[in-house]
Amino acid sequence: MSGLHASRRWRDRALVAPAVSVLALLFGGAVAGMLKTSLVPLGADGLSGATLDTWRELLGDPAFVDALVFSLRVTVLATAASAALAVPVAVALRRRGLAIRSLAALPLPVPHLLVAVAAVLWLGAGGLADRLLGGLPVNLVRDDAGVGIVLVYVFRETPFLVLLMLAAMGRGLQERTEAAAVLGASPGQRALWVLWPTIRGPLVVGSIIVGAFVLGAFEVPLAVGPSYPPTLATFAFDATQGSVLAGEGLAAATLLLTSTIAVALAVAAVRFARDAEGA
Amino acid sequence: MTAEGGLLCRSLTVSPGGVGVLRGLSLEVAPGTRTVLVGPSGAGKTTLLRAIAGLEPLEGGEVHLVGRRIDGLAAHRRRIAVVFQEPRLLPHLGVEDNVALTLRAAGVGRGERRARARAGLEEVGLGGFAGRRTQGLSGGEQQRVALARALCAEPDLLMLDEPLAALDPNRREELRRLIARVQAQRGLTTLIITHDRAEAAELGERVALMLDGRIVQHDEPRALFERPVSAAVARFFGVANLLHGTVRDGHLSWAGVALPAPGPDGPATLAIRPDHVELAQEGPLRATVTEAVYTGAHVRLVALRGDHRLEAHVAPALAPPAGAEVTLELPAQRLWRLPGDSDSDGDGDGDGDGDGDGDELSEASGAPSSPADPR
Repeated sequence: MSGLHASRRWRDRALVAPAVSVLALLFGGAVAGMLKTSLVPLGADGLSGATLDTWRELLGDPAFVDALVFSLRVTVLATAASAALAVPVAVALRRRGLAIRSLAALPLPVPHLLVAVAAVLWLGAGGLADRLLGGLPVNLVRDDAGVGIVLVYVFRETPFLVLLMLAAMGRGLQERTEAAAVLGASPGQRALWVLWPTIRGPLVVGSIIVGAFVLGAFEVPLAVGPSYPPTLATFAFDATQGSVLAGEGLAAATLLLTSTIAVALAVAAVRFARDAEGA
Repeated sequence: MTAEGGLLCRSLTVSPGGVGVLRGLSLEVAPGTRTVLVGPSGAGKTTLLRAIAGLEPLEGGEVHLVGRRIDGLAAHRRRIAVVFQEPRLLPHLGVEDNVALTLRAAGVGRGERRARARAGLEEVGLGGFAGRRTQGLSGGEQQRVALARALCAEPDLLMLDEPLAALDPNRREELRRLIARVQAQRGLTTLIITHDRAEAAELGERVALMLDGRIVQHDEPRALFERPVSAAVARFFGVANLLHGTVRDGHLSWAGVALPAPGPDGPATLAIRPDHVELAQEGPLRATVTEAVYTGAHVRLVALRGDHRLEAHVAPALAPPAGAEVTLELPAQRLWRLPGDSDSDGDGDGDGDGDGDGDELSEASGAPSSPADPR
């Protein structure tokens, strides 16, 4: 029996090997390039000139620490809010027709930058809403807390998560829910034992994608984010603008850290998805 | 009509998706008995099951179970367990946890859940399967797990919706026996749905035939096969020979042959199963065989006498070839005069008591009333 399992395990690995190889080449190559750029100053003589100066400078920079904290906060808030909103929306849409589902998915093909620009035009100081209403009670564009960034991502990413969950719900959820109902499971128990295990996988995987994207994207923070603190991505972007010599190294180190955080969050999320067992 | 301890459906009207499927249907299942609801696809059987279970809203009517009215209760409060055509197991749970789901819902402790789930698995012949995952199980094993899960709920009513439909013939036979045995041992009030008349006959202590959203005959299995209340019932239960004619002085003239038909004069239909048509050495009913098809258990003969058609099932060793001239005999005790005037597809009284309204020719002719097993 164990021999059979081992054989299946190797067969499964062989099946995903081509995809993993391509990913390793692309992602690994980029990581190696960033690592080299962060260690070897511009003009240095190969790897023999490698130094940790850039990393020391980066980690000692208070602006970097602020950017790190701000980025993590925006990422967690945007991802959690999108996921929390997507679950009830998906449940509400699951028995609706194609037309209503399509309407709900409308924000998906709209580029993030367009949403951000629309937000600035409507919600910014002196924007359309400001002029129509004669003033806005809250400032969502370029606010210090980054609420504007979070809202743009929630608007854009919630439909993405909803679509993933609707696809999973289509595979026998209704039938299994009915079976649980006639076995005495209350609506709450059915949500916990039938609905949640069905949507947990796509929700976690989708949230990983959303989180990684939010962490690494810079166009929305540039458009609707505050001038300070920056996000990690805008910090890296600014670094390349500020110093021609050291900027690339700082940007590479920042993005390397960003990638590491994204991978760590993804690993934690996958472990959570695996351990939950529907209870 | 009483439903003390059993199931009583009264005047149910159900229109899933706005389409009227059940219109005033009534059905009673006596406590501790096994009733099979049989009918062709689209008759409304599953809609009825779903309405009883609380999965389909009622537009009208009442459902009573063990003396209490339950149609206002949510599905999870009705104390009804359902085994569906597909097992509908929860894929993220193992076999034991699936079986124990109902106990978990009731707040039963883990130890007791485990013990009762294992006992349930033993009962359905899956003693060693508690630790298995559901994905690796065969269709028959999954359906047994679903049955164990339903039994674990200790319901007041067990309903099975085409539970054998997806299984191969051998597995179907095993599970059929298992369902009958478990139901009898537990004395569970049980309603089984099928479209297979042979399955209905084997599984049902009582059989209700459903056509177009109505129960057209509800009786012992033998009565539906041998004493159908209408041509539609006769056709569903394989009575291929419906002989139409006019009765005069106790005889119906069909294809130039006088067949005994007690009862009032006038248009009438006699029914006889193909299994009961016999080959004879001599007699008035000569016909030409136009089809002779070997089916495994018998040879199905189609014989024509002029424009009149008869079907007979005969032993392979005795079967004449197509084109042969044969003499057929229609035993008087096997002929059944349909109630009503002729071949009406009417739905009879819908709640037969075994007597029907027809005249059993065996009694009229004085022959012993011992119809052959039609199955």
